[in-house]
Amino acid sequence: MARLAAPGTRRASIAAAGVLAGAAIAWAAVPLHSARAGTRIALVLAVAAGALSIARLAVARLPRVAVPFLASAGRQLTERVFDVIGALPWAEAMLMGTLALEALHPVRPWHTGLLGLALLGYLLAVHLAETDAAPRALRGQLPLLAAGIVLLALAVGAAALPGRPSGPLAILAGGVTAVAVVTVAALVLPGAGRGGR
Amino acid sequence: MADGQPGARGPAVRVSWVPSAHARRLLTLAITALVLAVVTRRPEFAGVAAPAVVLLATWRTDRAAELSVRIDGPRTRVVERDEAVISVSVDGQGPHDAELTLLPGAEIFAGPTVLMPAAPGGGPATARMRFRAVRWGRRRPGTLEIVLRDRARLAEGRVLVELARVDCAPRPARLDGTILLSRLQSRLGEHPARVAGDGGEFDGVREFVAGDRQRRINWPATSRRGTLHLTTFAAERTQNVVVIADTSFDVGKLGLSTHDLALRGAAGVIARYTASRDRVGLISFGNGVGWLAPGQGRRHLEHLMELLVRGPAGDRPDAFARLPRAALPPGALIVAFSPLLHPGFIEAVRDLRERGFSVLVVDVLGSMPEHDTSTLSALTARLWRLEQEAMHYSLTQIGVPVRHWDGTAPLDEPLAPYLRRKIVVRT
Repeated sequence: MARLAAPGTRRASIAAAGVLAGAAIAWAAVPLHSARAGTRIALVLAVAAGALSIARLAVARLPRVAVPFLASAGRQLTERVFDVIGALPWAEAMLMGTLALEALHPVRPWHTGLLGLALLGYLLAVHLAETDAAPRALRGQLPLLAAGIVLLALAVGAAALPGRPSGPLAILAGGVTAVAVVTVAALVLPGAGRGGR
Repeated sequence: MADGQPGARGPAVRVSWVPSAHARRLLTLAITALVLAVVTRRPEFAGVAAPAVVLLATWRTDRAAELSVRIDGPRTRVVERDEAVISVSVDGQGPHDAELTLLPGAEIFAGPTVLMPAAPGGGPATARMRFRAVRWGRRRPGTLEIVLRDRARLAEGRVLVELARVDCAPRPARLDGTILLSRLQSRLGEHPARVAGDGGEFDGVREFVAGDRQRRINWPATSRRGTLHLTTFAAERTQNVVVIADTSFDVGKLGLSTHDLALRGAAGVIARYTASRDRVGLISFGNGVGWLAPGQGRRHLEHLMELLVRGPAGDRPDAFARLPRAALPPGALIVAFSPLLHPGFIEAVRDLRERGFSVLVVDVLGSMPEHDTSTLSALTARLWRLEQEAMHYSLTQIGVPVRHWDGTAPLDEPLAPYLRRKIVVRT
């Protein structure tokens, strides 16, 4: 039997998620002047969704009023705000907004690769904060994460090569190949999906 | 949802599995990145999707379909505001980590969530869950939620087990001294009586008569007087104590209401006299009358606490005229905790005194009826107070002392005059 992560660990996870969300959005947004139309809207949406996703984590463990209609008007309003924050998937919205923001910029493979790493870190931090788990809970996934990051580097490297084939079919074929490689790698990797500790 | 029966192997409980929020977010990242890769013709976005796809590729379907959950305890009596512990044994979780959370019931504070890692050999794993009842009563501690997570934390299996009801006893009021009667019954006990016997407390010295035990010869007195003298000791007797808890009215702030105070005071007296191995009985006067004749022992104490918490079965408080004779052995000390608001109870106390019992009433009423500043309201409140004072006076006049207790101080304070010396039994 073990206790879950201490409250300090959870606060650290939320802080890490906040930092990574901010860094990812900022990384995807710069430079603003070279981006296409709609960047500012995407930026505002991504910032709002990122902030609300962190707020959702922060208010998740706050004590709630058992009978809201007996509470004061201010408290009722606060409860309503908490309900809205807790009801919507802000982290997913932030992911989509940030990727859209990156897509509005010109091609920059390594920049996109680093953004992918930041988003992955953000997802893991959100998960740790959400489940009150310590970072060691992800120890079993390290080989998978390492394999995923290697594939990310390979894809980015391939994209950075000059004279690559173009066209939607080529991209689709590349994507399917990448998925097939990933799946095979996941099945072949020792311990992946076998529940070993 | 299953019902957790303490001490028994719980039935197999079905686990309902759903994708975790983490899996949904990974899926969102993967799909968004792949769609962008195709739409914008930029393969680096497919690379962004790669780590998420690798993690999602470990999705498995052979998960535990059922769990066996056994709940033991609490092993000791649950007392309000004290921490209680239950033991939860989970079998069949396989390679999944389990997270145990107590979703508390009414007036229960749940302890922290406990993580139960998968047992190495796949056997049952045990965890201890803590909770605290805010107030006495018969209540459910809550529902035990078990969340299973797979290694990649992509799926969550959820099980809910409702915990069985427990009796939460009132926190006993502190009482260090004991009130003793001058005349004790002839049962072996721990209180020195006025008659000579085989106790340990010195009683006196008298002349030796044939048949006395030689080992008790008092040699200093014998040498001074020139004839054999003997040391005598006081007999040790037990005392019958009957506690009356009047819960017919519940007035005052929750947690310090007359009901709370009556039960805590009664529990304090019961605990004190049980500890000194006296025979303790209980009459619970609420929605009807329930009683237990004086007795001794741990089992009897449990029955007393059960009656105290559950109260009498019945719904006819007005039918009450005389307290049950079976619960009142002759010569018993009677300690009543009451707000003295029920006329039937006051009549019963008078009746007890007329029957020759030594009765002591502890008034647990700590609040006045609400009134505003108007003349009529103030006059009504004053009349009510005068009525109460008159009633207290009438009881005192017939030999029933009434002491007020606020519920926060130890019971020794209001009962101090009766703890210093024995109460003389007058019939």
